[in-house]
Amino acid sequence: MAEIEIKSEIAGKVWLIEAEAGATVEEDDPVIILESMKMEIPVVAPEDGKITEILVAKDDPVAEDQVVAKMEV
Amino acid sequence: MKWQAQIDEHQRRKAKAQAMGSPKRLQERAADGILNARQRIDELVDAGSFHESGLFAVSELPDMAEKSPTDGAVDGYARINGREVVVCAQDFTTLGSSSAINNGRKTIHMARAAERNGTPFVYLSECSGARIPDIMGAVGMGRIGDGLRFNRRRIVPWADALLGQSFGGGTWVASISDFLVMRKGAIMAVTSPRVNTIAISEQIDPEEMGGWRVQTEITGKADMAVDTDEEAMEAVRRFLSYLPSSNAERPPVEGVPARSGEDARKILDLVPEERRKTYDVRKVIKLIVDKDSYFPLKDRFGRSLVTALSRINGKSVGIIANNPMFKGGALDVDSCDKATSFITLCDSFNIPILFMVDVPGFLIGIEGEHKKVPGKIMNFMQALELATVPVFSVIMRKSYGQAYINMGGGRSDEMAAWFTADISFVDPEVAASIVTGAHPKDDPVAFQQAVEEYSKACSPYDLAGQYLAHDVIDPRETRDWMIRVMDAHHRNRTSGIGEHHLHTWPFTF
Repeated sequence: MAEIEIKSEIAGKVWLIEAEAGATVEEDDPVIILESMKMEIPVVAPEDGKITEILVAKDDPVAEDQVVAKMEV
Repeated sequence: MKWQAQIDEHQRRKAKAQAMGSPKRLQERAADGILNARQRIDELVDAGSFHESGLFAVSELPDMAEKSPTDGAVDGYARINGREVVVCAQDFTTLGSSSAINNGRKTIHMARAAERNGTPFVYLSECSGARIPDIMGAVGMGRIGDGLRFNRRRIVPWADALLGQSFGGGTWVASISDFLVMRKGAIMAVTSPRVNTIAISEQIDPEEMGGWRVQTEITGKADMAVDTDEEAMEAVRRFLSYLPSSNAERPPVEGVPARSGEDARKILDLVPEERRKTYDVRKVIKLIVDKDSYFPLKDRFGRSLVTALSRINGKSVGIIANNPMFKGGALDVDSCDKATSFITLCDSFNIPILFMVDVPGFLIGIEGEHKKVPGKIMNFMQALELATVPVFSVIMRKSYGQAYINMGGGRSDEMAAWFTADISFVDPEVAASIVTGAHPKDDPVAFQQAVEEYSKACSPYDLAGQYLAHDVIDPRETRDWMIRVMDAHHRNRTSGIGEHHLHTWPFTF
C-alpha cells in the first residue's frame, strides 16, 4: 500500500465533496467537484483505492496543482 | 554418424546461447513472475513463428565470449496475427543486456531489415546501460558511436515494451518508438540512480525518477502502464492491429463485431443539456466506435484531450476528442503536445482522423505562456495542416476561438455539428464582460442584454447555413455519418497512402 496525493488540475472553488475519508473509490471516480470556468469540474481518483483524507472544505478556493485529498492505493 | 563432433558442437553452442544468462537470475525472475526475454517473445508472437538472427553472437572481447550468449540480445523475425514483424528482446540475465558493440550491431541490422521490408519493429527494453569496459576509452566510445544508429523515420511502426529497469540504449529506443507500454515497477531513465548518485551526488528514488507514474502522467512518454509482462505483450499486439505494416499500406480492415453501435441512442443520456455540467467523452466515443475497439493512448497525460485508436466499420480511425471531465475540456500545453504527437502517428501511417469537439478554448495564463503554449498550439495546428490523411470533425457542444480551428474547424474533409453545438469566438458571458466592461453584479441588466446579444447566431444551423459545416446531425447518427463519409473520402486515387510530411517530426514534444 502506498499513499498518493490527489491534486486539482485546475484552479477553482470547492462546490461539492463527493467522497469522505474512508470511502473506497475506483479510478476516475469524482472525489471533489470544483466550480471553475463556469463549469462543474470533477477532481477524480487517479487510481483504485481508499480515500484517507480530504484536505478542503466546501467553498474553499483551490489553486492549480493543490493537493485536495490523499488516498491509499 | 559422419560429422558427429561438429553436430554435437553445434548443438552445444545453440543450447548454451538459448539458455541465456545466469541460472540464478533466471530463477529469481521466474519467482517474481517476471518473464525472461525468450518467454516474452513466445508470449508476443504467433506460436512457432520466431526465427532468430544472431544466436551465435557474443561480446567482441574474447575473454567475455563465454559469458555473453547472444551478447544479451534475443533478436529475430516472427509473426503477430499472421503478419511479419521484427522483434528484439533485451536479455537482462546476460550482463544486464548492457549496450555493447555487437548487440548494437544486431539492433541496427534488425531495424534496417524492418525498414527495408516494410515490417513493424518491436523492441522489448530492459537494459542496465552501456557496458564497461567494452565502450571505455577513445576506441570503445568511437566504435559505439560509429555509424548512423538513430536515423529513424516513420517508415514502419515501432512499438516498445519497457519491462524492467532501462537506462541508456533501452531508453533511447523506447524514446523514438511510436508506442510505449511500461510494466509497473519498470524504470525508464537516461542513467541509473547509482550512476546519478556517483556523478552528481543526488540521492534518487528510481520510481520518482522514471517510474510508470512519471512516464504516464508527467512526461506522457509512455502510452500506458500495465501490471504484467503478459499484458504488455497484449498491448503491443493490440497497438499493431490498428496500424499497417508500413507507410506504403492502408491499415488492415477487421470484421465488425456484433452489436457495434447498438447503444448509440445512449449518447443523449450522457451529454448534459446544461452548459455548466461536464461528462466523460470516453463513454461517448465507446458508443460510436466498433464494440471493444477503443484503445486510448496517453490516457493519464494531458487528460482534457483524449487520443485513441479505434475502428469504425472495421476501419482504423484515430480519434482526438476534448474531454470536459478534465479542465472542462480546455486545451493546455500537455494536451496540445499530445494532439501533435497523435496526428503525427496517424498521418505517418495512413490512419484517418476524427475530431470530436467540445472545447471552451485554450487554458492560458502565466504558466501556459512560460511553458511556450503559443508554440505548442501552432505545432498542433501545423501538424494538422500538413496532414494528408482524411480528417473528419464533429462539433458536439462548444467550439470556441482558435481551438475551433485546431480541432478541425474549416479544414476537415467533412465536418458535422450536432444539433447541440455552440460555435463562437468566446463564451457569450466572457464576451459580454470584455465588451461592456459590465460585471453581472454591478449592472445585471446591461450584462444580461450583452450576453443575449452575443448568444445569437451561434447555432449549428448558422454554421451550416453558410456551408461552413457540411451537415447538422442528431448525436445518435454519428456512427452512421462517420461510416458513410469515410467511404466517401476513400482516397482511392492514391490507394489511401498519404504524403507523410510529418514522418520525420520529433518523437517527443
